[in-house]
Amino acid sequence: MKISRNWLQSYVNLEGRSNDEISRAITFLGFEVESIHLTGAPKLDAVFVGEVLTRNRHPNADKLSVCTVDVGPVHGVKTIVCGAQNYRVGDRVPVALAGAVLPGNFTIKQSKIRGEMSDGMMCSGKELGIGEDHSGLLILDHRPALGLPINEVLPPGDAVFDIEITPNRPDCLSHLGIARELAAWFRVPLNYPEVMIERTAPSRDADRHDLLRHVRVEAPDDCPLYLARVIAGVKIGPSPAWLQERLSSVGLRPINNVVDVGNFVMLEYGQPLHAFDARKLSGPEIVVRRAVEGESIVTLDGKTRALSSQTLVIADAVKPVVVAGVMGGENSGVDASTTDLVLEAAYFRRQSIRATSKRMALSSDSSYRYERGVDPHALPEAARRAVNLILQTAGGQLVGPQFSVGGDVPWQREILLSPDFVNERLGFAVPAADMKAALESLELTVAREEEGASGVVWTVEIPSWRDDLDRPIDLVEEILRLHGTERIPASPVIAPGLPENDDPVVDYNRRALAYLVGHDFHECVNYTLRSAREAAVTVDSSTVEKLALSNPFVEDQSHLRASLIGGLLESLRLNQSRGLSVTRLAESGRVFLEREGRLLECVAVAFLMAESVSERSWLNREPADFFGAKHHAHSLAALAGLDLARFTRPVVGGECRQWQEGHAGVAGDLGQGWRASFGLLSVAAVKSLGVSGRVYAGEVILLPEKVGAERTHRRYKPFGLFPAALRDLAVVVDESLPSEEARRALVKAARAVIGPAFAIERVAVFDVYRGEGLPPGKKSLAFSLVFRAEDRTLTDEEVNRVFQALQESLIAATGYGIRK
Amino acid sequence: MEQQLSALQQKAQAELAVIRTRPELEAAKARFVGPNGELTALMKQMGTVPKELRPAMGKQINETKVRVQAEIDAALARVAEAEVAAQVGPAIDVTLPAPDPGPGTFHPLTQVREEMCRILRKVGFAVADGPEVETEYYCFDALNTPADHPARDAQDTFYLPPEADLANVSKRSAGERYLLRTHTSSVQIRTMLKGPPPIRIVSPGRVYRRDTTDATHSANFHQLECLYVDRNVTVRDLKALLDYIFTSLLGKDTKTRFRPHYFGYTEPSFEVDLSARHLPKVNKEWIEIGGCGMVDPVVFDGVGYDSKIWTGYAFGMGLERLAMLLYGIDDIRYFYQNDLRFLRQFA
Repeated sequence: MKISRNWLQSYVNLEGRSNDEISRAITFLGFEVESIHLTGAPKLDAVFVGEVLTRNRHPNADKLSVCTVDVGPVHGVKTIVCGAQNYRVGDRVPVALAGAVLPGNFTIKQSKIRGEMSDGMMCSGKELGIGEDHSGLLILDHRPALGLPINEVLPPGDAVFDIEITPNRPDCLSHLGIARELAAWFRVPLNYPEVMIERTAPSRDADRHDLLRHVRVEAPDDCPLYLARVIAGVKIGPSPAWLQERLSSVGLRPINNVVDVGNFVMLEYGQPLHAFDARKLSGPEIVVRRAVEGESIVTLDGKTRALSSQTLVIADAVKPVVVAGVMGGENSGVDASTTDLVLEAAYFRRQSIRATSKRMALSSDSSYRYERGVDPHALPEAARRAVNLILQTAGGQLVGPQFSVGGDVPWQREILLSPDFVNERLGFAVPAADMKAALESLELTVAREEEGASGVVWTVEIPSWRDDLDRPIDLVEEILRLHGTERIPASPVIAPGLPENDDPVVDYNRRALAYLVGHDFHECVNYTLRSAREAAVTVDSSTVEKLALSNPFVEDQSHLRASLIGGLLESLRLNQSRGLSVTRLAESGRVFLEREGRLLECVAVAFLMAESVSERSWLNREPADFFGAKHHAHSLAALAGLDLARFTRPVVGGECRQWQEGHAGVAGDLGQGWRASFGLLSVAAVKSLGVSGRVYAGEVILLPEKVGAERTHRRYKPFGLFPAALRDLAVVVDESLPSEEARRALVKAARAVIGPAFAIERVAVFDVYRGEGLPPGKKSLAFSLVFRAEDRTLTDEEVNRVFQALQESLIAATGYGIRK
Repeated sequence: MEQQLSALQQKAQAELAVIRTRPELEAAKARFVGPNGELTALMKQMGTVPKELRPAMGKQINETKVRVQAEIDAALARVAEAEVAAQVGPAIDVTLPAPDPGPGTFHPLTQVREEMCRILRKVGFAVADGPEVETEYYCFDALNTPADHPARDAQDTFYLPPEADLANVSKRSAGERYLLRTHTSSVQIRTMLKGPPPIRIVSPGRVYRRDTTDATHSANFHQLECLYVDRNVTVRDLKALLDYIFTSLLGKDTKTRFRPHYFGYTEPSFEVDLSARHLPKVNKEWIEIGGCGMVDPVVFDGVGYDSKIWTGYAFGMGLERLAMLLYGIDDIRYFYQNDLRFLRQFA
């Protein structure tokens, strides 16, 4: 909201206070000052009113003139070279003489211009710092006296504060509201405008009584109070200079005296008012009602707007003439021909106006105020103020009675406040007298003071414009505002220890990222919202639908992500396209997966390892491969306490959308609360996203509620100090048999034959062989076996016995061959 | 004998000097000083030497033996050195770059978040987490946001379609819509509903606004919020926390100030400005950094805390904004592009 300093001055004396001081006060009262705009003429020395006596062409320049100018009796007649074209001999204009400093620090000197001496400069509006008009000299049409200092002729300077009013303070959407706050801050009186009680005798002109006979409110819920007055015989014309100046100062274009008064009073009191042409009404009747489906209105902005049955309108007997609280209709607008007015002042329910404004996508100064709430109790006063000003500026006289429909909206609010409570909440002591002074400076009157069981209790009366104040804590804020938030004393943080740990999800993320960064990955952050195209690469089409937002803002951010890998590929693509060699990227964040038709919000950590496509190196390392990806996925799962090795299976079917079949694995299941995928990304999918080269990746997905809820300390298990016995065993199995299955069969057989005597400590594949010496369709898996007893050194004999027995048992159980 | 000794010594010297491998050395050693070696054979001839010459001869033999052994030791040292040289290969140009990628880097947003969490951890805040898809209750209702508040508009907030169904994000009522949380304050509500006070949490996380992306706006950004609920928590405590946070982060000469403001879920409410030296690209004395206030009693009533007993404060700020201030980054979009030249600067 734009607030003019000169305008404020009408209600609160700010003389002697700098703009910065006022800005600071507004800031610490709780309103952000977005800008201060200086308008009007700055203080200008050595600039006077002059009159052009002669004008001759400059001998050396076609576009310049050499003029003689009378600058009054003190300065006499001067010679001035001028480039402007818009003036005539006899015009009075501003003349800057030697020594003048114009805005922009432009100093005027006596100087030669193209060989002709010039004593100064005749000025445009822009050169004087008033407005942007630079098309020619500022012609002083009202012919002020020669030699007058120009500041006596030009509008005075003003400072306009652009202030952000918080939604809880609709009372400050007005000059009076801000003036009240400043008066409280500076502890100076607030001067309300003088409103004369109108004493104009009702006219006896019967015809004029007929201008308005009835006001009917058919929607009292949305319009609890409606006032209307008729003013007859007005003469529409331009507003007086003072009124135009007020409106212009805050960026409103003056229109005519009646419209300007309406705007002025709205900006003064915060109460929207509306005047319309009484003679344009069809019949002497006003109805406040909801529109009928199918009705429409052309609003004052020239647009035709369809009305719905929820729209509150002001109508005559036939048609809507105003969209209530939002904008008037062209069919009833005040124009040059208007002689008789209806002036409306109403209280509309904020929800109703907000709904209409939203539905019509039409916001106005009026709707903005209604939406935030106006003070119904200021309404009659604002209406009287407007009537006064209209009679003053447009003439005419009040006719007929004041129409007032709807009850006085009841208002009485008191808050019980104890000064001790204020100090308790603040954490520092403010003297009770200061508190009381602060409240009363805001017209929050301490009506009674009682000694209660727990100390003094005040009864504070809340004025009607402060609907935001309802509870003692609200008054704590008022007291603190006026006391000054900059005076809150410094102190140390007092922090009694609480036995809380970081959320396990946070803890997991932190450790997972530390792992990845420790392995040379660059952590990325990508948008959660992805394109439909990317989603389709990740999940099947029914899931893509479930990931869609109902109201995306841009097309390529329309879906929740089901995987972090899409974002990482995008980062990879961006770096590749910028010629940057990047191989390892990682991210942690939320992803959304479908299970049994419902979405799950999951925690995810992902990484990718790409071939370096652009950078050559003096020494080549082995490129990334499947087992590198598996290793990192394994480690990331292990950080969440999960053993990926136990559950790994190849990706098949739908899972292959993102992964390359035969080159990727998956472990776990969302039903168990986790899933890990790793391996080579689908070469086709990666290419379709614009990334070149093979990309290996891994992603571990966890349900947040399943991430290590309780952290307990591990229990130590003793380990054998006697030497181990080692044996190697190669089994011949079907090509398609997963090695892990063979390994488990081996472990199982070994455990069975060893019994409790000692332990098989480790079984690990150390060789995979295909080809010569093996039947087609078979492979050989060579395992190393480690046996150990906790209490003794194993003898060759007993190990051999077990080794032999386990081979027999394995063959019997599985039919594997043994490769000698 | 004397000549034999001197000849032996010369022969040993000549032969050992060219030995390069351990087997050659072992053979030579056996040939000269082994049980069947030439020196041993000479020593065995001592018996034939006349008695009076024996001391002088013995001395001579000993001297020869010492000299031969010295030659052997020298040869051993040469062999050992040659072995190591073969094992390690030629000398390396240590100025050549390592061909591996890296080092890895934490994203600047992570670094700022972790730094803030560390600072807050020291004064007892535990890091809390919550879902990014939220319901209207947790994001708005419970935070005292009126039903017709503009923040709820589909123009400002991302919604999921009415039929959306999240198995692990609970709704309070069937009619509620799912949305992308517009602030992390929803975590405060979930935390308070989970258990009784006292509570001291910091909740960093992603939030979403339906906003045009430009240099200073992003539809997806990060916030960090603190909530403390206990008996007798005061405005002064809140100011103390903010002073602590920013002096910890930016140095002892950092100052904060409160400006009264309005938020639906705090009363009184403030905007927080900070003033610090050495911030890059900052040419104002005071910079707005976040919002805070005392938790509104309505919020406590909503989560079943007795607002006559419990008081609390909340503080929230944008992490991108903080990172931009700290590092002098002038475009928020850089955080989401992951250009390596950007990421590497914060390693």
